[in-house]
Amino acid sequence: MSDPLAALLPGQSDRVVQVEGLSKKYGDNVAVNGISFNLTKGEVFAFLGPNGAGKTTTVEILECLRNPTGGRALVLGYDVSKRSDQAEIRKRIGVLPQDFNAIDRLTVRENIDYFGAMFKQQLDADKLIELVDLKDKRDAQFKTLSGGLKQRVGLAVSLVNDPAVVFLDEPTTGLDPRARRDVWGVIERLKGQGKTVFLTTHYMDEAEYLADIVSIIDHGQIIATGTPDQLIDTHGGKKTLIIRDAGQEGISQLPPGLPKAELRNAGDIAIPLNNGELTSILMSLAQTPLHDKEIEVRRPTLDDVFLNLTGRRVSEEGN
Amino acid sequence: MRSRIYTIIRGHFKSWYRSKSNIFWTIAFPLLLIVLFGAIFGSGSTKFDLYVQNQDLSGNVPTVLSQGYVHALNQTGAFNLHMVAAEQSDPLTFVKNDAQLHNRGQRLLVVPLGFNATVMSGKTATIQLFMDQSDQVSASLRGIVNSVTVSYAATIAGAPDNLVVQPVGIVTRNVRYIDFFIPGVIGMTLLTTGVFGAVNTNGRYRELKIIKKLATTPLSKIEWILGMVGYQMILATISLVVILFFGYAIFGVTVTIDIYTVGLVVAAALLFPGIGMVLANFVKEAESADAAANAITFPMMFLAGTFWPRETLPDIMKIIANFMPLTYVNDGLRDALIYAQPAQALTNTIIALGLAAFFIVLGSLLMNWKEE
Repeated sequence: MSDPLAALLPGQSDRVVQVEGLSKKYGDNVAVNGISFNLTKGEVFAFLGPNGAGKTTTVEILECLRNPTGGRALVLGYDVSKRSDQAEIRKRIGVLPQDFNAIDRLTVRENIDYFGAMFKQQLDADKLIELVDLKDKRDAQFKTLSGGLKQRVGLAVSLVNDPAVVFLDEPTTGLDPRARRDVWGVIERLKGQGKTVFLTTHYMDEAEYLADIVSIIDHGQIIATGTPDQLIDTHGGKKTLIIRDAGQEGISQLPPGLPKAELRNAGDIAIPLNNGELTSILMSLAQTPLHDKEIEVRRPTLDDVFLNLTGRRVSEEGN
Repeated sequence: MRSRIYTIIRGHFKSWYRSKSNIFWTIAFPLLLIVLFGAIFGSGSTKFDLYVQNQDLSGNVPTVLSQGYVHALNQTGAFNLHMVAAEQSDPLTFVKNDAQLHNRGQRLLVVPLGFNATVMSGKTATIQLFMDQSDQVSASLRGIVNSVTVSYAATIAGAPDNLVVQPVGIVTRNVRYIDFFIPGVIGMTLLTTGVFGAVNTNGRYRELKIIKKLATTPLSKIEWILGMVGYQMILATISLVVILFFGYAIFGVTVTIDIYTVGLVVAAALLFPGIGMVLANFVKEAESADAAANAITFPMMFLAGTFWPRETLPDIMKIIANFMPLTYVNDGLRDALIYAQPAQALTNTIIALGLAAFFIVLGSLLMNWKEE
């Protein structure tokens, strides 16, 4: 049987990351359990799952920070388990570790130069500062920046060697919504430049918004992979018709013959929709006292995908 | 590789001088200590310390004339006389040790055996005064001793030239408290900047994920450690220069800077960060590591003879002090800078370098660069 990864020569494929049966055990604890996936050049790949699912362990194996206990992983065609290959990988990847902070008393520019100096070649710091929109803070010490701005410095630092692939581990965890949006903006810009991005997140909306391909990981195993739309279509369940603020009384006012409706916490009525049923349901609702209520159709999200696949919501995991 | 190490050194150095508390603890605090301790213990008495050995005994009791001479010296009020027992066969060595222990001047006056008889017979008796010609007070002290001697001779024999004081030059360092203290402050500063610097860069930088980030770049663990040690050497040199300059400017402390001083600074810049690295690896949280660093540095500071000579410690503490790495750095620095004792400085430098090699290698081996 031929090795599916053997034909690959370093730097000569669109496959930026190839993972086959990758495992990582700590004693009896299996952090990553035989996962396989690929990441293609120019793609934004999101590794989605709750805390403790194995996301960071996987990404740190790819960054050569941890050694796998089983399976194989190639980054840019180099084997993460081989010492000589690790040196080649380190030259070519960009990394933003989870909860990364740059050096407190160095300025934004000095920090970019500091980490840039670790590589033979580095991008112009001012261009990176422009990319992450920190021109005004160029000479501000890192410690004076807000959480969102600090994270943008981290992004600039992760790009300083013009990497072939950027690993961003939970880049928006702990940020307020506005700062999250700003970081998304930077990642979108990277996407626009054709950068290959490997993103780990436990935010469903983040994966849905940014990723071309999403792999959902739970308890060390990948449980689904696809584009966000594919995942939602396959695992998200039905669309839902929502009748706002109808309350318990509204349920008794529903016309007969509808799928089983449920009342949600704010008093909204939720009715699962089968394809092609929307028009007939709306017409029948028009005949009831509910006709003047606000009505919307909600598409399932990746949150629903996770719920349907695991029986839990990511938010139940304390995130 | 060189540029990476240089970048690490520069990064540490910038972080250092941009922090007011760093500047305080590495520069202002040691200087403050020197001023405080210098003022408290340095003023001392305005009298001259003088050791006296009266060898002229008759049946274990000093002879009348020799006793009278010592009394006359004491009467001037110019001296703090410290008697050396007549049976002390090597009074010079005794004085040297005792003077260092008590921070006294190293000067010895010997009234010879037969003093009484010689004077009574009308012959000339010779009293030896051992002191360092470079001793700042040598001229005035010799002057007072001479005049006491001349007038004593005139009183007892009517012949002033019956008694002669023969000055004997000895090479000593007339060590004052402040002379003793300054190398101690240097040792203390090297200890604290080294241990805390390493705890900070290896503990806190780990918490901030800076080390994790660096480990994903081509930077190697060895380069990182070399950068840290290089930075510590620069810091140690700055501390040394500032403290020595200050000691010279304010207290007139003069020192000898030789190869041992350099060796000890190199040893300290490896040894103390090495200890800090070992700590940072055992105590993972930066705050606890800080507490652990305090717990190690403070007792070491006191036991290793930073503030007072170790000879004043209880015996059990002296034994413990022998296991303190700072002891060898302090002793070595004193031997090299103040006492001009190359042989002892060499021994201490070798021990300090040996300990440095041990701790820096242990710290490096223990340090997790990757995430296993």
